[in-house]
Amino acid sequence: MAKIVLKKRSNVIPQSSMADIAFLLLLFFMVSTVFVQEKVFWVERARWPLADAIQKIPRNHTSTVYIKQDDTVLIDDVPYSMDDIESMRIAGVMQRKLNNDANMIVCFRTDRDTKYGIMSDVLRQLQDIGALKVTFETQKKME
Amino acid sequence: MKVSRKRKGQSEIPTASTSDIAFLLIIFFMATTKFDVKEGLSLVLPPAAKEGAVVVKLTEKDMTKIIITSTGEIMWNSANLGFFEQSVMDSRIKNALTQNPLMIFSIKTDRGAKYNEMIRVLDRLKASGAEKISLSTN
Repeated sequence: MAKIVLKKRSNVIPQSSMADIAFLLLLFFMVSTVFVQEKVFWVERARWPLADAIQKIPRNHTSTVYIKQDDTVLIDDVPYSMDDIESMRIAGVMQRKLNNDANMIVCFRTDRDTKYGIMSDVLRQLQDIGALKVTFETQKKME
Repeated sequence: MKVSRKRKGQSEIPTASTSDIAFLLIIFFMATTKFDVKEGLSLVLPPAAKEGAVVVKLTEKDMTKIIITSTGEIMWNSANLGFFEQSVMDSRIKNALTQNPLMIFSIKTDRGAKYNEMIRVLDRLKASGAEKISLSTN
C-alpha cells in the first residue's frame, strides 16, 4: 500500500509586511505631530485659574497672549510693554495675525493674580480690530 | 584547461533591518511627541460699537449686572453677595435663567480686581448654561 505523505504546514508568521506597517505608523506620527510653538511657558500652568466648564480648543488657529502678574504682555513669545498697549501697538500686531488667519482664536494664558485692568485693555483692542474669538485658558478644577 | 569563472556577487541592498529602523523612528516620535492640548473658557466678544449703530435699551428683566469690586466682592444687581461662593452664585444664576432663559449677564470687573475673580464668575455662568455674557470694566 502506498504511503500517504502529509505535507507539514509552515507555522511561520509572515513578516514581509512588517516594514510597511511600521512606515505607515511612522508617517501617521509625522503628519499628526504638532510641535509646541511657544519656547517658554511664561505663565506656568499652576498659575492659571481653575474652572469647571472648560472646552477643548483647536490649536491650529490660535495666538497665545501671556499676561504676567507684573503686567508684562507677551504675544506668541514676543514681549510688549505698557506703552505698547497704550499706543495701540498690540492692536496692530494682532491685526496682522488676523489678516493671515481670519479664524484666529486668541488664547489668554494669564496669571490668576493679574489685575483685570490690563486684560480689559487688551480685550478692548481685540474688539476694535474684530478679533472676537477669545479663550481664557484654565486648569480643570479637581473635585 | 578550463578556467572556472568566479560567480558574480549579488548586489542587493539588505532590507531585513528596515522594519527595525522604522520601529526605532516610531518609538522616537512617540517618546518625543508632546500633546499641548489647549482648553479653557471660550467666549465670542461683541463687535466694537460703531457710530450710528442702533442702541437697544435693556431692562432689568433682560439683563443681570454682576459687579466684581477691587476687593473681590460680588454685587448682583446692587445686592451685595460678599465674596465668591459657588452655591450662592449657582442658585442665583439658575433663578435668573428660569425667569428668562435669554438673560444677558453683564460682568463688570473693577480694573484692580484679580483676573481669577472674573474667571470664577464666568465659569459658573458657563457651567449653568448662560449663553449671553458680556465683559466690561470701569
